[in-house]
Amino acid sequence: MTGGSRTLKDAVNEALRHWSSDFETTHYLLGSALGPSPYPDMVRYFQSVIGQEVAEQIEERSLDVEAMIACVGGGSNAIGFFEPFLERSSPRLIGVEAGGRGRQTGEHAARMNGAGELGILQGYKSLFLLDSDGQVQPTHSISAGLDYPGIGPQLAHLGATGRVEFLSASDEQALDALKFFARNEGVLFALESAHAGAAALELAPQLSPDRTLIVNMSGRGEKDLFLTAPAFKGEQWRNFLYQEAQSHE
Amino acid sequence: MNKPQKIRLMAHLVAGYPSLDESFTVARALQAGGADILELQLPFSDPAADGPVIQEACAKALSSGTKVEDGFRLLERIRKELEIPVFLMSYANLVVRMGVEKFVRRAKSAGAAGLIVPDLTPGYDEGLYEAGRGIGIEVVPVLTTGTSASRLESILSERPRYLYCALRSGITGALTRPSEEALYFLDALGGRDMELMAGFGIRKSEQVRALQGHADIAVAGSVFVREIHDSSGDEGSELFQKIKSKAGELSLRY
Repeated sequence: MTGGSRTLKDAVNEALRHWSSDFETTHYLLGSALGPSPYPDMVRYFQSVIGQEVAEQIEERSLDVEAMIACVGGGSNAIGFFEPFLERSSPRLIGVEAGGRGRQTGEHAARMNGAGELGILQGYKSLFLLDSDGQVQPTHSISAGLDYPGIGPQLAHLGATGRVEFLSASDEQALDALKFFARNEGVLFALESAHAGAAALELAPQLSPDRTLIVNMSGRGEKDLFLTAPAFKGEQWRNFLYQEAQSHE
Repeated sequence: MNKPQKIRLMAHLVAGYPSLDESFTVARALQAGGADILELQLPFSDPAADGPVIQEACAKALSSGTKVEDGFRLLERIRKELEIPVFLMSYANLVVRMGVEKFVRRAKSAGAAGLIVPDLTPGYDEGLYEAGRGIGIEVVPVLTTGTSASRLESILSERPRYLYCALRSGITGALTRPSEEALYFLDALGGRDMELMAGFGIRKSEQVRALQGHADIAVAGSVFVREIHDSSGDEGSELFQKIKSKAGELSLRY
């Protein structure tokens, strides 16, 4: 991606441009729960396999679930994870947005809890980070998948009704959570999913030990090595890359 | 061929590109060159229906601080100081953010002859068409040659006075021409009490001539924006001459 702000939003614009000039021979397939109808419904339906499996496992293990937690960029993993539980009143469903460098800095991608405004972009109507004219605001997140100014319309609605609660986690909190789960659980969260992990770490101390939190680890962290390695082990990583480069000369 | 009268030219410009004052110079030059109508585009951060040239113009206009209200004021100035009618083009988000009715009223008070909002299509228009009828301003539906018969029917049920057809070129290369299918599509739309605007990346007078008889109005957009881009650093008078001469060519004056 070389155009615009070089984020997910610009990639979607470019895909839409390509499609609108080649629609006779091209299908537009969208991987997130947003865009024009019926994409949000289709994506929720396909992603709901995650939630169905969770529902089965809750039953099998007779878990007493306090909350289910998922990160929300466009919201595909979250809506699929929540889907079988939307019509129930429990457990709590929690979406975690990218708090970036902190909401007060403006460098984030958290649209719920007051920051987002009603708009129409990329073929759908929902909440977006906009200025007073309706120009789309730049976003920031350490995770590419959450670095997006809009949220899936159904999640925005579920936020308004209160069925889904929204929190945000900063870049730093996501990295801390990633480190915590790698050390203690031996799993490497994608930076996106680590935002959900961060919210779980915040909530867990408030709960009694017999209550359960379910975190959707929607992606694996190997893809983020070039972001996480320099963040955690800057000098060793640089030396390692340098030696690797030399060995290939 | 059912459009015997001479084809008119709608020339496009982005408000605030390269600056608000120069936009006015461009508008003046377009009129002087023989353009019949202006399409004044409000710059938007995510112009998903535009190619790289207009994307860059939008980005430049926004980075130099152009606001939606500046676009309306430019429109007012054009209407006050020039003769040429102006259609205002905007993306949906700017309209919805201001509020559809408020936006339409502001466009009307600024003197716009019509509104072109490609991503508010009839039936999915947030009340734009109704507001246009109520306030007395033409709203121009945008369609392509791929628009299905059923969509076309619902678009035509709005009884628009103008229809904007984004044609795709039949042959790619230095000089594209409207495809046979595109001309057939236009001809099939003809014979109704409405005017057809057609654009497809027009850069040369031959391309405008190819539309003669098939459309009422040829729309030329990025050609002028590119011309402005290439004139960066020129004196205002040079910019004026270049734009005027290009408009003269495309309006088939010379």
